[in-house]
Amino acid sequence: MTRNTRILMSVIYWAFIVYLFVPLALMVTMGFKDSKFIGFPIRSWTLDWYAAVIQDTQVLSVFGYSMTIAIATTILSLIIGTWVAVFLGPNQFRGKAIIFALACLPAVIPGIISAIALRIFARLIDIEPGMFAIILGHTVHNVPFVALVVMARLSTQPKSHIEAARDLGADSIVAFFRVTLPYLKPALIGAGIFCMLLSFDDFVRAFFLGGYQPTLPVLIFAKLRSGMSPEINAISTIVLIMTAILGLWAERSMRRLNKGS
Amino acid sequence: MTFWGALLQNGAYQAVANTLFKSQRRQFWILASLPLFWIFFANLGPIVEMFWIGFLDSYPPKVGHEPQFTLANWAAFFQDRVFIIPFFRTLAFSFIFTAITLLITYPVAYFLAKHVSRKNQLLFLLLLLIPFWVGEIVRTYAIMILLGNNGAVNLALKSLGLIDRPIPFMYTGFSLGVGIIYLTALYMLLPLYSALEKLPDNYLEAAADLGAGAWTRFRRITLPLSKEGIASGCTLVFLISTGYYATPVLLGGPRSTVFAETIAGFFHVAGD
Amino acid sequence: MTKFITNRRQFIKSSAAGAALVAAPAYLRSTAARASGVVNVWTYANFIPDDFKAEFEKDTGIEIQIRLVDDQGKQFNLLAAEAPNPTADIVTVAGHRFLQFISSDLLAPLDTDRLKNWGNINPIYSESDWATINGNKWGAPILSGAEILAYNTEVVSEDEVKSWDVLFSDKYSGQTAYTIQDMMSVVMLYKGYDGNMVAYMDDPEKAAAVVAEARDFLIEKKPLVRKYYDAGAEVQQMFINQDIVLAHAWNGPIAKLITDGFPVDMTIPKEGTYGFVYTLNVANNAPNSDNAYALLDALLANPEVGAKMTQSSGFISTYKGADQYLSDIEKKASSFTEEELAGLQFFRAEANDMKYKLIDPAVEQIKAA
Repeated sequence: MTRNTRILMSVIYWAFIVYLFVPLALMVTMGFKDSKFIGFPIRSWTLDWYAAVIQDTQVLSVFGYSMTIAIATTILSLIIGTWVAVFLGPNQFRGKAIIFALACLPAVIPGIISAIALRIFARLIDIEPGMFAIILGHTVHNVPFVALVVMARLSTQPKSHIEAARDLGADSIVAFFRVTLPYLKPALIGAGIFCMLLSFDDFVRAFFLGGYQPTLPVLIFAKLRSGMSPEINAISTIVLIMTAILGLWAERSMRRLNKGS
Repeated sequence: MTFWGALLQNGAYQAVANTLFKSQRRQFWILASLPLFWIFFANLGPIVEMFWIGFLDSYPPKVGHEPQFTLANWAAFFQDRVFIIPFFRTLAFSFIFTAITLLITYPVAYFLAKHVSRKNQLLFLLLLLIPFWVGEIVRTYAIMILLGNNGAVNLALKSLGLIDRPIPFMYTGFSLGVGIIYLTALYMLLPLYSALEKLPDNYLEAAADLGAGAWTRFRRITLPLSKEGIASGCTLVFLISTGYYATPVLLGGPRSTVFAETIAGFFHVAGD
Repeated sequence: MTKFITNRRQFIKSSAAGAALVAAPAYLRSTAARASGVVNVWTYANFIPDDFKAEFEKDTGIEIQIRLVDDQGKQFNLLAAEAPNPTADIVTVAGHRFLQFISSDLLAPLDTDRLKNWGNINPIYSESDWATINGNKWGAPILSGAEILAYNTEVVSEDEVKSWDVLFSDKYSGQTAYTIQDMMSVVMLYKGYDGNMVAYMDDPEKAAAVVAEARDFLIEKKPLVRKYYDAGAEVQQMFINQDIVLAHAWNGPIAKLITDGFPVDMTIPKEGTYGFVYTLNVANNAPNSDNAYALLDALLANPEVGAKMTQSSGFISTYKGADQYLSDIEKKASSFTEEELAGLQFFRAEANDMKYKLIDPAVEQIKAA
C-alpha cells in the first residue's frame, strides 16, 4: 500500500465520520434551543427540553417497550432466518427458486401493505393488537434479511468442516451447533444488529399492529404533528444515550461471559 | 465439548436422533418444517388475504352486505398506470444510491479492516454504529436543517464568504441521496468490513513482492476476495432503500415521487 | 359478513396447527379494549390534556386509553382493518373525511341528546348543514381549520397575497410549496368552479373536465414549485429553513409558527378557500359506548380544554369562550378578518365519492408528471 492511498483512505474515513456525526451534533444541539421549532438561527438557549424529557416517565417506558420488542424480534428473526438459510442454502430440490422468492417476499412488499395485511391477518387468527402482534410483524419483515446474510456466509463455509465433524461421530444437529454455528457467528452478529435497528426504528408496522402503548417511532410521529420541536430532538438524544449505555453493558457482560466459559 | 460429547453418548438422545435422521428424506423434511411453515403461514398468508380483499366489492366489510367477488379493483389498478413511473424511478434511485453507498463505504471498510489496529477496530465500529440508533425521521429533519437555504452548510459557506446567495440543496436528487445514504451506509459497511477483515495480509504482501502495483493488487486480490461482502451489502441496501417512505417524501423534490409514496396514496395517507 | 368471517376464522383456527404457536400466551394478550372502566380514544398527541385526563379518571373511575394517530388515512385503514369489532370507542375524524368513514360503516351516529354540554359548541359548527349527513349528526366538532395562504412577511408584502395568483407567479419561482390533494380543491375554486363538486353531481362529464383543467394547470405550474409536501411539520420547517417564502397550508401549523415569533403570516385570498373541522366521533359498534359519551360530555364541559387543544395544534377552537384562555398572540394567530372570513366556505362531503375518484388519480398524475 502506497503512502498516498493510505492518506487518501484515512481522509475518506474521517470525512465519512464527519458526514455521520454532523447531523447528529445538530440534533443534540437543537435540543437546547429555546423555541418550539428546530432550525437556525438559535436566539436563546434552554435546558428545559432535556429536563422535561428526563422527568417524563413516558419516554422511559416507551424506550423499554421498543427495546423489548426489538430484542424479542431479533432473537426470533435470528432463529427462523438461520433455519431458513440452512434449509435453502445447501439443499437442492424442485421448486427451490419459488420457495426462495417467497422467503424474500416480505423484504420487498411496501411497508404499509404488509402492515395492513398483517393487521387483518392477525385478527383472523385471533391475535390482539399489541406487543406480540408487533413482534410478529417485525419478525416477518426481518427474517429475509437474516436469511440473506446467513446464506452468504454459509456459501463460503468449506465443506470439509462439516465432513470432519461427521467423521468424528457427530450427527447433523451436533455438527451444526459445534461447527456451522460458530462459523456463522460474525454473520449472526451483523444480522442481529440489522434486526435490532429495523425493529427499533419501524413506524408503520408498529402503528397498525400496536395497541394503546405506543412504541418510540409512534410517539415521535404523533409529536411531530405539532411541529419538529426541540423536545423530539431531546427525546432522541436521551434515547441514544440509554441505547449506548445498554450496548456497552451488553458488550461488557458478553466479554465476561466469554472469559468465564 | 463435554456437553456435546455427553449428549452424543446419551441413550435417550441417540434414540431420538436415530428416529429423526433415519433417512435423508426424513432429515430433509425436518429441516424444511419450520421454514416452509413460516413462509406459507407468515409470509404468504397475509398477502393472500390482501389479494382476496382486492377482489371484494366492498372493503371494509359492511353490516348486512355480503361482499361480492369482482375484478373491478384490480382492473382499475392496472388500467390507471400512475404507479409505473414511480415504480421504475424507485428502482433507478435505489440502484444509483446503492452504487454510491458502495463507493463511499468501501474505502471506509477497507481502512477500518486493514489500517486500524485490531484492538481498536471494535471501538471504531461501535463509533460508526452510534448514529444509526436515531430514528429515520429525526435524522431526516437533521439533514433538512443541515442542507436548507438557512441550514448549517449554507450558513457556514456564507460566513466564510464563499457564497452570497444560499445554494438550494434541498428537495433535489442530491438531498435525497444524502439522506438515503445516511440511513443505509451501515447495511453496506458491516458486510464489507467482515469480508475485508478476513482477507489475509500476506496475499497482498506476496503480490507486492512479485511487483504488482496497487491497482493490480486491488483488482486481482482485494476485489475478488470481498465479492461476497459486496454482494450481500448491495442486496441489503437495495432492498432496504426501495422500502423507505418518510425520507423520500421529506427530502425529495416534486419530481422524485417514489413507489412507497404512491402506494401510501392508495391508502389515503395525506398527512391530515 | 359476520357469518363469513366466523366460518373462516374457525377454519383457520382448526386447520392451521401453527395457530397454537402464534396465539400468544394469555399474559401477552390484552383484553383491555372491552373492560367496564375504560374508554379507548384514537386521537392526535396533546388533544386530550394530561390534567383533564387525570381529573376525569378520578371523578368517574373510567380510565382513558389513548392511541396516538398522526394521519387520517392511516386511522381509516386501521379502523377498517378492525371492523366490525373495533378496539376504539372514540376516533378523531376530519370533517372532509366524514363520508369515507360513514359509507364504510365505521362511525355511529351521534346522539346529541345524550350530551348535555352540546350547547357549549359554537352553533356555526354544531348546527351547520355540512355536519348533517344521511340525516344524522356524526361527531362533536372540536377544532376548525382552513386552507390558507401563508407567507414570509420579511419577503412577501401584504398586498401581494390578495390572490392565489401569487403562488403561481414567476417572481417566487422555486420558493413555494403546497399539498397537491388540497390544492386541487383550491385551484377549482380559484378557477371559478365548485371545489366541493356538489354542483356537478348530476353531470359527471363536467366534473371530469373541471378536475382535468385543475390537474393540467398544476402540471403546467410544476416547474415553479419547490416542494409538494404532506405534513404540517414540513411546511413549518421549510419556512424556518427559508427554503420557501410562500405556501398553501393549513392554518394550524402556521399559527404555531406565528406564536413562536417567526415572521410569517397567513391570509384567505379573495377567491376564497375551504374550511374543515376536526370532530370526535363514536366508533360504530364501540366496545364502551356509554363511557365514550361520558368522556365527550366532560370534554365539552370546559372551554379551557378547547383552548388547550388550540395551543397544541394551532387550529381554532369550536368552543364558546375558549379564546378567553388564550394569550393575545394566540388569539391573533387563530383569527381572521371579516373580509377574509367572507371567502371561507366549508368542505362538503356529499360528492366525495365522485370527487375523490377523480382527484386521487389526478394527484398521482401530477406527481408522476
